[in-house]
Amino acid sequence: MSSFSRSAQQWATFARSWFLIDARMQPPGRIATMCAVRLQGKHKPIYHALSDIGDHVVVINTRHIAFSGNKWEQKVYSSHSGFPGGFKQVTAAQLHQKDPKAIVKLAVYGMLPRNLLRRTMMQRLHIFPDDELPDDIRANLTEELPQPREIPRKLSEYTQEEIDAFPRLWTPPEDFRMK
Amino acid sequence: MTARGTPSRFLKSVLQNGVGRYVCQLKRISIIFSKKGQGSLGIRDFIEEGVVDYAKKNPTTVVYVSPQPCRIPKIVAEYMNGTVREEIVTNKTSPQISELLAKMTNQSGLDIIRIRKPFHTDSPSIQGQWHPFTNRPPSIDPIRPKKEDSQ
Repeated sequence: MSSFSRSAQQWATFARSWFLIDARMQPPGRIATMCAVRLQGKHKPIYHALSDIGDHVVVINTRHIAFSGNKWEQKVYSSHSGFPGGFKQVTAAQLHQKDPKAIVKLAVYGMLPRNLLRRTMMQRLHIFPDDELPDDIRANLTEELPQPREIPRKLSEYTQEEIDAFPRLWTPPEDFRMK
Repeated sequence: MTARGTPSRFLKSVLQNGVGRYVCQLKRISIIFSKKGQGSLGIRDFIEEGVVDYAKKNPTTVVYVSPQPCRIPKIVAEYMNGTVREEIVTNKTSPQISELLAKMTNQSGLDIIRIRKPFHTDSPSIQGQWHPFTNRPPSIDPIRPKKEDSQ
């Protein structure tokens, strides 16, 4: 049994949570999926399409997102200004250089439903290129979501014992010259 | 007319009544009846038996008893939000009238129209309603970005 009275219980039910997602070394699409679900409120058992019960999502470290494959060079973001000759195409790397928040923002925007609530839900998405948060947002956070992808460790992050203990298929001879 | 065309509202209470203390929304009640009329027999019985008890039990409600030469006895209830509701009590017995008065006392004075999303259960949950912190692992520290990641 909860410790609130009945009416305060209802306020608690409809309260908005603030989620924190760390996007360091994460694929932007999977970050956007997590954001889109929570912005719509679809993770709640009380979800209803007509009630506006989306939560706030704070994404940090978007400067350090990781695309797989050759998407940084080959993924193209297109826009048209409406004027003749106003068609622009930039690669993901160029867009990220210009604005480190844009890739995550566009990915989330594309995953939200195309209705009148879409802009409202986007206003509840707070994106930060680094891990510095303003104090008012930091005070609201209620839960940190686990990262969807486990970050692989770099060779420099392994200790010497771990490197030595790694099983080897073949021991190079003394006079072997590395290319 | 289909149900969609009728006026509707969401279930609500006046000024969050009942969150703290409950305030009875019935302000004033006037019982209009005839001293002689046949249809006023039940209400005369009620005035003899129950009206003083009712007034004592509801100190926030003003009770007027006004005998008038009328054919149709009625109870006029005025609520805090300005609603005035008339109930006709012709040929009603004393227990029926006291039941009706109890119903009018408990009402909030909001219009009685179709309720949107009239969700209801006869067996409310024992665990209590869901809220954002049910089934969530408790965290001791306040949530904030991890500093050791930023090397």
